[in-house]
Amino acid sequence: MTLMCYARKGKSTPEMEQVAAEENVSLKFVVEGVAAGNIVIPRNKNRKNIKPIGIGAGLKTKVSASVGIHGSNGSIASETAKIQAAVEAGTHSIMDLSVSGDINAMRKQTLITTPTPVGTLPLYQAVAEAAQKYGSSLRMQEADLFEVIERQAAAGVDFLALHCGTTMNIVERAKQEGRIDPLVSYGGSHLIGWMIHNGRENPLYEHYDRILEIARKHDVTVSLADGMRPGCLADSLDGAQVQELVVLGELVRRAREADVQVMVKGPGHVPLQLLKATVMLQKSLCKGAPYFVFGPVVTDISIGYDHISAAIGGAISAWAGAEFLCYVTATEHVCLPDLGQVREGVVAALIAAHAADLAKGLPGAADWDLELSKARKKLDWQKQIELAIDPQRAAFMRKTRSEESSKGCAMCGKYCAMDVVSAYLGVAKQIC
Amino acid sequence: MTLVLAARSGEITPEMEWVADRESVHVDVIRRGLAEGTIVIPRNIKRKQFNYSGIGQGLRIKVNALIGTSSDRTDWAMEERKLAGVESTGCDAMMDLSTGGNIDGMRRLILSKANIPVGSVPIYQAAIEAIERRGSIVKMTAEDMFTTIEKQAADGIDFMAIHSALNFDVLKRLQYTGRVTDVVSRGGAFLTGWMLHNDQENPLYEQFDRLLEILKTYDITLSMGDAIRPGSTADSLDSAQLEGLIVAGELVARAQAVGVQVMVEGPGHVPMNHIESTMLLQKRICHGAPYFILGNLATDIAPGYDHITAAIGGALAGASGADFLCYVTPAEHLGLPTEQDVKDGAIAARIAAHAADLAKGNKKAWERDMQMALARVTSNLERQISLSIDPEKARAMLGAMHKENCCAICGEECAVWVAAKYFGIALPIT
Repeated sequence: MTLMCYARKGKSTPEMEQVAAEENVSLKFVVEGVAAGNIVIPRNKNRKNIKPIGIGAGLKTKVSASVGIHGSNGSIASETAKIQAAVEAGTHSIMDLSVSGDINAMRKQTLITTPTPVGTLPLYQAVAEAAQKYGSSLRMQEADLFEVIERQAAAGVDFLALHCGTTMNIVERAKQEGRIDPLVSYGGSHLIGWMIHNGRENPLYEHYDRILEIARKHDVTVSLADGMRPGCLADSLDGAQVQELVVLGELVRRAREADVQVMVKGPGHVPLQLLKATVMLQKSLCKGAPYFVFGPVVTDISIGYDHISAAIGGAISAWAGAEFLCYVTATEHVCLPDLGQVREGVVAALIAAHAADLAKGLPGAADWDLELSKARKKLDWQKQIELAIDPQRAAFMRKTRSEESSKGCAMCGKYCAMDVVSAYLGVAKQIC
Repeated sequence: MTLVLAARSGEITPEMEWVADRESVHVDVIRRGLAEGTIVIPRNIKRKQFNYSGIGQGLRIKVNALIGTSSDRTDWAMEERKLAGVESTGCDAMMDLSTGGNIDGMRRLILSKANIPVGSVPIYQAAIEAIERRGSIVKMTAEDMFTTIEKQAADGIDFMAIHSALNFDVLKRLQYTGRVTDVVSRGGAFLTGWMLHNDQENPLYEQFDRLLEILKTYDITLSMGDAIRPGSTADSLDSAQLEGLIVAGELVARAQAVGVQVMVEGPGHVPMNHIESTMLLQKRICHGAPYFILGNLATDIAPGYDHITAAIGGALAGASGADFLCYVTPAEHLGLPTEQDVKDGAIAARIAAHAADLAKGNKKAWERDMQMALARVTSNLERQISLSIDPEKARAMLGAMHKENCCAICGEECAVWVAAKYFGIALPIT
């Protein structure tokens, strides 16, 4: 039985109890959310040592960090260090997106290293293995693809990203309407190339029931990936993206009918004024399935700073209803992030998530801000640092940007505004 | 004659032409904006020609950086390097907020070097000199305040942040609201302390006409200081802030009436759900005057990353009407920024401003992003570098990438290559 089966029967599981306790909501709320499909708790039956998290409406916005071996620059050791850095920084989830090297061994290591849910993108491994086996990913067999999906599910992966909605129809539309950047997602691009070369429909769409069967068997959450993710602002909400979203809505329904938990993956590059509309469309077409958005970045030009661009887009998207933010690092579009950039990417996404929770008025969100602001008013540095989203960095900055002697900080030196005013407003002097 | 009065009499000045050219709009749009008070072009008549910035309705959103010494750190060479960094990073204006060492010397040095509008907060210097000469801020006299303003005006400061919109009505409201962080504006704090101690009304409010006289003489743009900006998200849009905004609106009307350029300073810490309302209220109450906002910070909990919280708030604020974003560095709330912090703050604010310009449909902004998208599709690295927000950093990062072998491209055997061919994209085969 899947978590969704239990929830639909009104039965709670330990995972649901843990999520309810962690989120400070009633168990009933979580059970009903899972049953309806607007909350998912990605947790593979075969997964050990996981601390389950809930993703969805009414819960705190969650963050995912992606790592993985990519070309000659990664190793199991380097990626493991990144996972540790991301977890330490507070990520709620890890995606292992290895495309080369010993992908099986890396995945195994990822599942051991992080206590968070783990996601993967099976097509990457299928493509890599086909290239080895047949000399080209174009000769990948459908059976190979499903074998990898089955293998990853059996290994204990909690959520699988699958480009089930990228149909030939949609690919043709992208061509006809002159999409500026039709090859954005690594998986999507390979899949599209395979479909064109072999003159075949997307097997992940055609044999979707088979995917649902595997997902049901291992209680894996399906993360419906988008092959038509906009890769530049100009492509945002074009016909291809929206048409794919329509198909994804249909696939959400089918997953739910099979008692399989499902969420939908999205943007990409989205101009600020289209963020809300994008989320609203997804919510409407996908019937409230959790929305897992990459970034979104709000401009194409911020090379080297895309974690900031993504924090802007992520905050506004999450406020509009996206529940799960995939981090973007400063090296996006350029190369793989180092440890510091992984950490920074996670924190930027967590800031966006919290800013959104605060704006949504999520119960409890404002308490954190209030506590820190009270500590700030009291010039209680220890408390401010403890409460900071990244205490390590706050402590370092305080140490290096201020003098030890200063009661306030070096910005105002001895003319601290907090201090000056407290001296007067503190004494209850009434003004008439 | 001030720019506003020139604009009202139908005259086109070189400053207006300069801004119109930079913004690719008809010069009459600028003239009309100046006349109506929805656009300002900060520039003191004492200054030689520099890179003028038009700030206001229909124009690209501008970014301001803050530099200056403090009592804990007076390193002129460092501040001079920060100024150069700020300009090369593409900031449109800067403010010298020095409070340590030889304040006059620092300001004059900056004015001699800067090629962008320079602002200041005269009350800082007045207060610090009062401590030095009279032993305490509260012993500062109204004359001290105006003398400092006069002095800085004569030096050539282009825009001045002056906390005139603070009076006892506002303070009374503040005491009743029970704020979490009371007054976080340093100038506002000095004046609040002064007013309460001396039990006297704020001279910058009481003698507002005298202030306008000085500003008009040098055609300085008044940046209406926000003495009671919210210092925590919990304080956002409380009645004290609104009372201050109403007073500001009154004073804006008086400045506009006599032909003094005026903009209004604002937030602070503002949760995202308050941002649009804050912008709309300011525009309405302050008669369309340009809105100059600090940040704004979308949450209180990220010391060390406030350039990011400010980018979130600034982008949303810009999209809903803010015209001028004051940067926030990662050192905010923790100390005085280093040169790197200044750069990071400036770039983050520029990203926010650009995202907002895109959201508002600014054609030049869209063209730049479109060119970047095309450069990406065609793998044109040089073009990507030159179009990026920080070409220096992009070059360093893309250079590193070039040496990597991310993917063993197998030419016609590569699925991505097949897909590219289908879409008519010429992928370089390496």
